[in-house]
Amino acid sequence: MRQQNAPMPPLKTVGHATPRIDAAERVTGKATYTNDVRLPGMLYARILRSAHPHARIRRIDISKALALPGVKTILTHENCEIVWGAGGISGGQQYNDDIKKITKHRRYVFNNPVRFVGDPVAAVAAVNRHVAEEALRLIQVDYEVLNFVLEPEEALKPDAVKIWPEGNLSLNAQNQAQPATTRRGNVEDGFRASDVVFEDRYTTAFVHNAQMEPRSCIATWEGDKLTLYTPTQGISNCRSDTARDLGIPQEKVQIICQYMGGGFGNKNQNQDADLITAMLSKQAGAPVKLEFTRKDDFIGVHGRWPTVQYYKVGVSRDGVLKAIQLRGYSGMGPYRKNTGAIGGIDLYQCPHIESVIYPVYTNKTVSGNFRGPEYPQGFYGIESMMDDVAYKLKMDPVEFILKNMTRKSRDEVPYTNYSLEECIHRGAEAFEWKKRWRPQPGSDGGPIKRGAGVSFMAFRSALGRSNAVIRLDAKGKYSVFVGVTDIGAGAKTTMAMIAAEALAVPLSKVEVVWGDTDRCPYSVGESGSRTTIQTGYAVIQAADALKRQIAEKGLPTGQNVLVGSASPNPVLDGKVRAAFGAHFVEVEVDTDLGTVRVLKYLAVHDSGRIMNPLAAKSQIKGGAIMGIGMALHEDLIYDRRNGQPLTAGFYGARLMTHRDAPEIEVMFIESDDGYGPYGAKSIGESSKVPAVAAVANAVFNAIGWRMKDLPITRDKILGALA
Amino acid sequence: MKSFANSNARDLQHAVTLAQQTHQQGHAAAFVGGGSDLLALVKERIVGPDVLVNLKTIKGLDQVKPANDGVNIGGLITLDALSRHDLIRTRYTVLAEAAETVATPQIRNVGTLAGNVCQRPWCWYFRNGFPCYKNGGNTCFSFVGENQFHAIFGGGPSYIVHPSDTAVALLALDAKFRIAGPSGERILPAAEFFALPQQNPARENVLAPDEALAEIQVPVTRMGTRSTYHKIMDREAWTHAVVSAAVVLEMDKQVCRSARVVLGGVAPIPWRLPKVEQMLAGQRINEALAAKAAETALEGAKPLAKNAYKVPLTKGVVRRTLLELAARG
Repeated sequence: MRQQNAPMPPLKTVGHATPRIDAAERVTGKATYTNDVRLPGMLYARILRSAHPHARIRRIDISKALALPGVKTILTHENCEIVWGAGGISGGQQYNDDIKKITKHRRYVFNNPVRFVGDPVAAVAAVNRHVAEEALRLIQVDYEVLNFVLEPEEALKPDAVKIWPEGNLSLNAQNQAQPATTRRGNVEDGFRASDVVFEDRYTTAFVHNAQMEPRSCIATWEGDKLTLYTPTQGISNCRSDTARDLGIPQEKVQIICQYMGGGFGNKNQNQDADLITAMLSKQAGAPVKLEFTRKDDFIGVHGRWPTVQYYKVGVSRDGVLKAIQLRGYSGMGPYRKNTGAIGGIDLYQCPHIESVIYPVYTNKTVSGNFRGPEYPQGFYGIESMMDDVAYKLKMDPVEFILKNMTRKSRDEVPYTNYSLEECIHRGAEAFEWKKRWRPQPGSDGGPIKRGAGVSFMAFRSALGRSNAVIRLDAKGKYSVFVGVTDIGAGAKTTMAMIAAEALAVPLSKVEVVWGDTDRCPYSVGESGSRTTIQTGYAVIQAADALKRQIAEKGLPTGQNVLVGSASPNPVLDGKVRAAFGAHFVEVEVDTDLGTVRVLKYLAVHDSGRIMNPLAAKSQIKGGAIMGIGMALHEDLIYDRRNGQPLTAGFYGARLMTHRDAPEIEVMFIESDDGYGPYGAKSIGESSKVPAVAAVANAVFNAIGWRMKDLPITRDKILGALA
Repeated sequence: MKSFANSNARDLQHAVTLAQQTHQQGHAAAFVGGGSDLLALVKERIVGPDVLVNLKTIKGLDQVKPANDGVNIGGLITLDALSRHDLIRTRYTVLAEAAETVATPQIRNVGTLAGNVCQRPWCWYFRNGFPCYKNGGNTCFSFVGENQFHAIFGGGPSYIVHPSDTAVALLALDAKFRIAGPSGERILPAAEFFALPQQNPARENVLAPDEALAEIQVPVTRMGTRSTYHKIMDREAWTHAVVSAAVVLEMDKQVCRSARVVLGGVAPIPWRLPKVEQMLAGQRINEALAAKAAETALEGAKPLAKNAYKVPLTKGVVRRTLLELAARG
């Protein structure tokens, strides 16, 4: 094992800025995205969604719709009783065979009662899109409208309508209605030992993943074998989920995802769209294509869970943390798709910690994984809170962070390497923190005020199992078979670069075979920022296996091939692996108009060794920009009286445009801790997680008013300063 | 979306006839220029015309033509062409500036001036198909609902804000609207074209069925006139004005001879401020006067539960826009 932060010898391919190997196909329109797939005799499908936030379906009459010429088949809860396993999971952890048996609050493909505006009620397959859409209007649904509840704290009140018989606190993996609780030490002792105790409340909004490509799916059956073309972040988990849900063997399901237009977490696992399309195709006896509109995608898939966070923090007078207590509420929508955790407390070293999180059912759109699932909202809460503690103690927040930030994971387990201090010191210097940060927030004269904010992060970079196969033919072509898709982070290119490096051959000799479960071995899927770490490591191992074959048998000739494969499952020896980072932001707030502009943004990251600086920088920039959007723009506003979402879509949710995106400066502090492929750690999610807090803290520093509810929009700024 | 037929119009009268014939057959017709607003409404099933009467086939209706007493602008000119037109940029700056703030380059490449002026509201209740006044119902959901972006002036019974940027500029330029209809043509001053909800809560203007906005006539600006459009947006592109101001000042050296000030984003119609205009006439525009004008501008504002921020915001916009324009040499 390499020593911590030892100097890294340069490599031949890895570490060099490399354009994507499929860039030309993508920008010339040659790349086949899911929605480009057309099969002979293919039907088109549309979904009828609930117009009510909560209602029981008394009766569905599909006779008129079926009579419309061109309509081939219609599914409703009456003729399609399939459980979408990954859509509702006790405890919200990974969906698997065991959890399928346990899960009590099951989500069906079509539910009765329907529990949010957008819950699928029926699906139609017809000869073309227009007939399918017209048919939806002919389906008559007789609803018994039920009471509904939108906010998690409201939903826990005794008189709130029960969305599930056991109540609105989502069940854990043991099917108990208990909040998720973690404790270290005893917070009451910690508060007694504190000189000062601060309390506050922060809230975050639902933000949609808002990937460019709306969901679509094409299903076709040959005998008892199902082929699904679907934009998924994980072909392997999509296959196992779909097989489990449909009750067919995995080898009877083929998942193909060649090119995709992003997902940011809402295309992982399988989707109800996959199951609906598969069943429509089976019933119609023809290939079926289902397409989501942008509105379908916004309300019918999922976004980041909104939270309410109550903090209580005890410190000594010189700014040393004694106790942190969090009581949090996460709005999960009516189905438990993910944990609903609120991360961030672990960023601090502190002897007494207590975190009690209530994942709560509501009648809003479902919440689930979105880039750093529990962190951007949690980091916003805790890092705003700590920024405020530092302010009230008259401390520079950089000094406060340096004094209190994590040194060991949960204060006990060492990291494989530790660079957080370096991230903060080098960042503060390059950013000119002392010049840009205002010791007295809001002190600029005149209506236009500047200020600076900082935040930091540590993000999991665990190892794990994966597979790779490399085949060498007599022409000297190396074919790398990996079960990755390419969500946008450039996995294909990364795998090719790692293979070229490990094989000591030029990149041009390597081709990648990806995105098809019938051709590629298992890969974890592009979630959790782990494809490079896990599948990249398998590629090195497969290359080593191939090199041993070559050494033994010589290079292949004629029609012969040599194949190297590997299925590693590396483990850490009692350490925790994390990527680190710190973000520094300067904003300008026009206090007459309530406008916030980001003037300068510096993101400093240790993601281990950088595989491809071109792609890595883009990942950091993209995450930071997304964080700015979450801090200042995005929301899904509901009408409280009727439970209807009002701002679904790119226009309504006020997503940032290119013109809103500031220049993001990226600085990498590279390291090789001896784990992962050449020391690579996680990147994809890590840059969004501190961004929201950094922007919010900069706004505070500029205007001298703490904005405690996201997004920090004009109405809130002007309201606060009025 | 619902299926529809397309009917190409040869000229304005033909367009009106096509629309009339469609109605006489019991079908719904809609005039279409660039279609950027109409098609979105059709796709969302907010409107469901059986026949689209295509105005783009009418020749010459997309031109800027100097006239004796000003300039005549064909309603079919694209927002992009309008914003780039030399004469418009130099003499009617407020209109060019308003046009270039609309939506996105793609939409400005197809969206027309007439279409922008007649654009339907972007109230989220209307666009989400709620049975509100604008959708033929008898409720305004925003009044006790989510009204962050709604009217602080002129509201009731509907509280939408007029969505058009160019309309605000045209009112500030004292433009006249030439309208083609079943009984021939009529010309209306901009101020009489837009209609408050108390007049007709379902519509934003006085266009009768089968009437189309054909041309806009802008009177000549006098020497020393300068103008500008200031639009506050919640992002840098593709969104409507939270608040906007169109200001036209006729200056005699440092003294403002006359002023026209119109607000967007605050009322169901472009909202003219005659009291402010009187206050500015014959005065030097300095900090104190601009601040006083801003206070006066907001007299009578009636914010709803969630849009009180528009009051200080609008004050800021009025004050800043007056000062910046007065300082422009």
